[in-house]
Amino acid sequence: MNTKQKYVIIAALVLIVAALIWWLASGGEILSKDGIWVEKEMTELDKALGLEPQKEYQEKFILGLLPHTAVFSGAVVFISAILFFIFKSKKTKEKK
Amino acid sequence: MNTIIKTLIVLLAAVSMSFAQGFKVKATGEQTFNFEDKRNQVKFFSTTPLEDITGISNDVKGKVSFNVADIKSMKGSVTISVASIKTAIDLRDEHLRSENWLDAANYPEITFKIKKVGDVKVLEDSRVEAKVTGDFTVHGITKETVADVTLTYLDASDQTKQYAPGDLLGVQAKFNIALSDFEVENMIVGQKVADTIEISANLRGSNAK
Repeated sequence: MNTKQKYVIIAALVLIVAALIWWLASGGEILSKDGIWVEKEMTELDKALGLEPQKEYQEKFILGLLPHTAVFSGAVVFISAILFFIFKSKKTKEKK
Repeated sequence: MNTIIKTLIVLLAAVSMSFAQGFKVKATGEQTFNFEDKRNQVKFFSTTPLEDITGISNDVKGKVSFNVADIKSMKGSVTISVASIKTAIDLRDEHLRSENWLDAANYPEITFKIKKVGDVKVLEDSRVEAKVTGDFTVHGITKETVADVTLTYLDASDQTKQYAPGDLLGVQAKFNIALSDFEVENMIVGQKVADTIEISANLRGSNAK
């Protein structure tokens, strides 16, 4: 393994770990979401009516493991594999 | 003779009153409540191998009528539109409305029509619990379903005016259905949805005319 190949592997690992950290920071959801349900504070009247808290829909992208994080990580692995192979080939040619 | 008949009538009325279970509020007689408000919600909950799915509709319509002193006299229905159900994933919502699932184009509404009310328990003067049997229709198929319902009656007051004129009725209902009973294929975006769906309704109604 030459220096360039090591850089490719390190860069790929950094990108994948960064994506996983971002995913965890986004809530660690399995599926990506286009919105969230936010529980609204109950009014005294709603409590008197014996109701549960009302939920309000808010459009907001939530990064999930599937498909976004998995597709990104897969793409990083795929591109890294190609680069790894290319740099290996160049080294072999240089030796010849 | 007249006295005997009158006594019997009074006794019968007293007996029927003692069996009637309802609200002890200022309002009397038959009351009709409309549930047409964007704050009303019906929630669908299902467990999948990947994650739990919650779908919510805010497009709830319906009305119920009953004698305040006798909850068992209740009749009416509640309807939601299939197109209004949101699960927080747009692609999943599309699948939900598609022909393979709830088929919103051909069956745009989900309905619960009350048939009878039983097992009434008076929790407070203004609050009762009951089992409400009704015809639940989804995907064009109707099945009899029993819902656990809590009803709260609030007489019109300065507090209730904040929401709507007239008396208010709060309804909390919960029941389960099996998708297979309604010929709904429980596959959505490649993941299997549980056959049992928990449905709960959170409704506020007003009897203002």
